[in-house]
Amino acid sequence: MSFKIAVVGDQDTVTGFALAGATYAHIYMTKEETLGKLGEFLASDEIGLVLITHRVAEELGHEFLWMMQTKRLLPLVLRIPDKTGYVPKVDELREIIKRTVGVEIMVRKEGG
Amino acid sequence: MAVALAVPPTRMELLKLRQRVGLAQRGHDLLKEKMDALVIEFFEVVKRIQEARAKALEQLSVAHRALSMCLAIMGTLETKQASKEAKRELQMEISTRYIMGIAVPAVEVEEVERNALMRGYGLHMTSSLLDRASREFERALKFLIGLAELEGSAFAIARELEKTKRRVNALEYILIPRLKEALKFIMMRLDEMERENFTRLKRIKAMLEERE
Repeated sequence: MSFKIAVVGDQDTVTGFALAGATYAHIYMTKEETLGKLGEFLASDEIGLVLITHRVAEELGHEFLWMMQTKRLLPLVLRIPDKTGYVPKVDELREIIKRTVGVEIMVRKEGG
Repeated sequence: MAVALAVPPTRMELLKLRQRVGLAQRGHDLLKEKMDALVIEFFEVVKRIQEARAKALEQLSVAHRALSMCLAIMGTLETKQASKEAKRELQMEISTRYIMGIAVPAVEVEEVERNALMRGYGLHMTSSLLDRASREFERALKFLIGLAELEGSAFAIARELEKTKRRVNALEYILIPRLKEALKFIMMRLDEMERENFTRLKRIKAMLEERE
């Protein structure tokens, strides 16, 4: 199956990925509007990947997390840093490791 | 201490319970093995994610820098305009793979990078900085797609891992102890009944002997 790409974020991120060929885009203005649009993206059958900036994801709060919990396998949702390089301090992957494996395990970086 | 199941203390029940304990034990062992295998799989993916993420974020910041240059020199409005004109029909192929019975996404993407003519904006009024920004973003997008695939897999595996863990714990700490408790209860009860019977017979024998 062939899928398209959607972007949710600030103006610059959206412009950049639009230049790169992402089909759908939404610029974050208000929380309600963005949640509605995101719901649309997630329900769509032709979108395979939704890129969303960390900042917007945090702005959307637990509604966003709930959407992540309840969504189907597709579309994939990937959180990306915006132009300021903002990444939240709490690494979600590490949280998951802690929860599932029971201990926090630092995965060593290659050569580091 | 585990609460014993309410069971009638009969030999029939004892046999049934023994069977159930055996089954539960076997299920527990199997699930535990599955969990171990999942953990190995999970860490394999996590390791790959960390490499992919570092690469993707690096490229993304390069792309943002290129875009900032473009915005500054070519102008915000013009850049926005070009982004609206650009052809936006990147396609990616997603199918599902199965790792130990878990559906994980497998993404394939045709060439993300395009040449300037294929991007669709007019070359006449645009700067070469726009081309550079586009190219960097295309590269970043390629890495991000790979990263999304890995993260999707990691989440799917983690979810299954959690489920398996719950089951293992439920068997190990609730069901099996309860069954064992019930088993013990029945065995004690049967022994007790046998002892009762033994004394009863002795007593009857004594009574009979007295009568003679």
